[in-house]
Amino acid sequence: MNNILLSTLIFLPIGAAVLVLLLPNAYKDSFKWISILVSIINLLNIFSLYNSFDRQLTSFQFLEQYEWIRMGLGSLGILSIDYLLGVDGINMPMVLLSGIIFMAGSIASFNIEHRPKAYHALYLLLSGTVIGCFVALDFFLFFIFFEFMLLPMYFLIGIWGGERREYSAIKFFIYTFVGSVFILIVMIGLAMSVNDTFFSQELGTVVHTFDFRLLGDFKNYLHDSLLAPDKTQLILGVPARNFAFVLLLIGFGIKLPTVPLHTWLPDAHVEAPTPVSVILAGILLKIGAYGFIRIAYGFFPDIAYQCTYVVAGAGVISIVYGAFNALAQEDLKKMIAYSSVSHMGFVLLGLSAMTAEGVNGAIYQMFGHGILSALLFLIAGVIYDRTHNRLIENFRGLATKMPLFTVAVTIGFFGALGLPSLPGFIGEFFTLMGAFQSKVLPDWVAMIAMLGLVLSAGYFLWTLQRMFFGKFWANRNQEAHLKDLDLREIVLLYGLSVLAIIFGIFPNLIFDISGESVKLFLEKF
Amino acid sequence: MLEKITHILFSTKLLMPDLIFAGVFLIVVTIVAFTKKSTQSYNLFNTLTISVLISIGFVFYVFLGFMDQYFDAGIVLFHNLIYLDKLSIFFKILVTVSAIFVILHLWIVGYKVMAEFYAIFLAAILGLFVLSMTNHLLMLYVALEMVSICSYILVAINKSKANAEAGIKYLLTGATSSAVMLYGISLLYGMTGSLQLGSQEFATFLGQNPSWVANIAAFMTLGGLLFKLSAAPFHSWTPDVYEATPTPIVAFLSIAPKVGVIVVIIRFLSALSIDFRLIMSIIIIGSLLIGNLSALWQNNTKRMLGYSTIAHAGFMLVGLLAINEFGVQSAIFYVATYMFITLAAFVLVDLLALKTDSYELTSLQGLGQENIFLGLSAVVIMIALVGFPPTVGFTGKLLIFTALWDSYQSSNNQLLLIVLIISLLNTAISVFYYLKIPYFMIFKEAKVGAKRYQLGFFKKGLLFIFVFMIIYLFVKPDTLMKLIESL
Repeated sequence: MNNILLSTLIFLPIGAAVLVLLLPNAYKDSFKWISILVSIINLLNIFSLYNSFDRQLTSFQFLEQYEWIRMGLGSLGILSIDYLLGVDGINMPMVLLSGIIFMAGSIASFNIEHRPKAYHALYLLLSGTVIGCFVALDFFLFFIFFEFMLLPMYFLIGIWGGERREYSAIKFFIYTFVGSVFILIVMIGLAMSVNDTFFSQELGTVVHTFDFRLLGDFKNYLHDSLLAPDKTQLILGVPARNFAFVLLLIGFGIKLPTVPLHTWLPDAHVEAPTPVSVILAGILLKIGAYGFIRIAYGFFPDIAYQCTYVVAGAGVISIVYGAFNALAQEDLKKMIAYSSVSHMGFVLLGLSAMTAEGVNGAIYQMFGHGILSALLFLIAGVIYDRTHNRLIENFRGLATKMPLFTVAVTIGFFGALGLPSLPGFIGEFFTLMGAFQSKVLPDWVAMIAMLGLVLSAGYFLWTLQRMFFGKFWANRNQEAHLKDLDLREIVLLYGLSVLAIIFGIFPNLIFDISGESVKLFLEKF
Repeated sequence: MLEKITHILFSTKLLMPDLIFAGVFLIVVTIVAFTKKSTQSYNLFNTLTISVLISIGFVFYVFLGFMDQYFDAGIVLFHNLIYLDKLSIFFKILVTVSAIFVILHLWIVGYKVMAEFYAIFLAAILGLFVLSMTNHLLMLYVALEMVSICSYILVAINKSKANAEAGIKYLLTGATSSAVMLYGISLLYGMTGSLQLGSQEFATFLGQNPSWVANIAAFMTLGGLLFKLSAAPFHSWTPDVYEATPTPIVAFLSIAPKVGVIVVIIRFLSALSIDFRLIMSIIIIGSLLIGNLSALWQNNTKRMLGYSTIAHAGFMLVGLLAINEFGVQSAIFYVATYMFITLAAFVLVDLLALKTDSYELTSLQGLGQENIFLGLSAVVIMIALVGFPPTVGFTGKLLIFTALWDSYQSSNNQLLLIVLIISLLNTAISVFYYLKIPYFMIFKEAKVGAKRYQLGFFKKGLLFIFVFMIIYLFVKPDTLMKLIESL
């Protein structure tokens, strides 16, 4: 039963990180090759995982389970923590996305000259932990990956970032850490409320477990525990489960990010080096969304049903507020960062709709936005590399000098604003359709969200027009630096564009995987 | 008469290791008096102390293994004055281990202290051994004073102006808190007519008094203990003493007395037949907030660690606030693992200061870039202090919060929830200052012309042992927890 494929995905990069750290500095030109090689192997492994993934099954596949910690808690029974990995339709698309984005990121990191050893070690460490976070099926394990991820990210922003890197690195760290403290409370609460009935009979005591498969099932909850569904005990007049759900909402909402918890994101993005921005927007934000689906919705379906207005409201506000902010930005990277806030709002909207279209659309939106935002941040990186300047008003008519670049930009922008046949359209279409069909949400919620579509068309087209059309001109005599894409950039930008088009035309590549699991997921509501 | 004599003989037999240790102390004092100061004599003293400590640690370890076969629970010795059980032996082992590491630290970093230091050091450890065996308030006072007086001397032993100032501050606050404690003990005795903590009359008579009177008396009795633990409101000596005293001694003061005191607090709280949670909560919240908020503004690493121990004292008590078996176990786990973390932090700070001759944060610039091992260790140790995975600091915090959660779940006392939330938020606050050390070491560029900082084999080895333990205990906490469960 135990197949080590998933462990390989996690520990190959971590092992490579240690290798890079141990190699002497004389080999510093080989570090980037190591990280590219590892990304390729990981991507191939993920493809084989994707191919052999059984689309009809609703249960977890490729399970790996080892006993990790069995600790007595005195009179409270036993605390059982497993090393438990597996994939189903909800995290499989995310694993695929991580493979793709880390591949892109490692190519984008090719030009890092400053302390390459530390950079690539941290980068590989990050990629291992992120995949670990997606495939972990034990809350404890998930949380460890979730927290640990902060450290490499903190250093990647703080050392290789822009001028205000230290400020944004610490801001990123504190925000996310506060969020994870909230998640920690809920994790402790869940573990203390849930009993592993199977082992409990065998051992004769209560077995507190962190197993995702058991946490979602109401019949495993201990009767008098605080988070039990039938518990009537109130905290400040509110049932404990509601509190727990709100804590998760804040915790994952910071990571997602949703307005008003988003303020770390523009700072982190603007200061982070291009490959790190790519990872941040491409994958790290999705962990917040994944946490929403798997943990907040998965374990608290009853509360999610009651709080659907809160989640949908946060989603809609993120969509509209993010879009208006993007419209006002003068910095290209900041504009893209705010567009991320706006697009991630659709994930929340789709989830809160609680229909098959909505949830499938949310998962697809996570995947599609991952690829598109990676593309967009690479685009911003291309300009920044050449001129060390990202202000939109400093460039005009780039299309004449950089035709190859302009084509990639057009694909990226149109993809993000929702042109049919590109991923942005599918994700937004399905989430909105889900919202309109939803029995729990009124139509006007979805209608306000539609406003986001119009606005995103506004800011993307306006930027395209201002920067790329008209007569060629660049501020501060930077014209000479603006050369068209080199081979590496062509591979990166066009590779991602092609992927975007493929997944846009064949959305079933994702829907086939997620469909069955979502069906099961929705039965809880 | 004969019965008494046999009892005393029997008690003496069981306390043989401690008594022999006391004898060794006398021998060391004699040697100190008759040797000249030289490098050789330092090596001699270091070797001597370490071998003594290792052998006594080994004896206790063997004793702990045998204990089960002869005695089910604890044994009362010397007519109720001494109470020996597995818990006290475990804490003696902890004290011994921390003392061994302190001497290693002293030796490897190359401190030259007065020869008298070794004698006083051993005396302090002996006091801690006795402290861990007390179940009697009178004995508690004697043992605590023994530890205190030795600590005052240790702080002032270097005779510099700063040392003397710190020593006086320490002495004054210490004497005050002892006085408060003595008053508390006399009140408790007046209420119950007994000094014996576990006794029947202590429990029954204490409960018959008005609850606030009993609470105040108990709080005053705790005063002397809280002083040693550097918990609020008896914390004020900590930063000054930490800043001025030589680092190995600070490392010793930051863990060994706390280990000794925690076991007494465990015994004391389990003997109290009143609801003491309100005062405990105030102490905890005060320590956490004072420690963390003051640490935010520090520019000196040792001072910062001083405030951080105040906060950690609060965390140690969190486990005890959850009055159940698991709460006590988690507190013991927390103390045992915090021992490694805090000793590691002081070794780290000292190794850094070797290069820079200063404990200022800004002087750390670029040290982590020059020496990757040092930078990595700094990251591991500091995130362990925060309680961040994958370090044992996380496991410890997880366990105490789990215990508190369960206590809340079963008692539905809102106070526990408030403490839980405040202590979790304090973890988030603490990130900010703990990360300053790796931040300066790794983010800031080194000063121009700085030479590469090479660490010797032993220095690296010492730091590596700590880092290894911090990570190993995270991966396999059950090894330590099983031991604690068996106590």
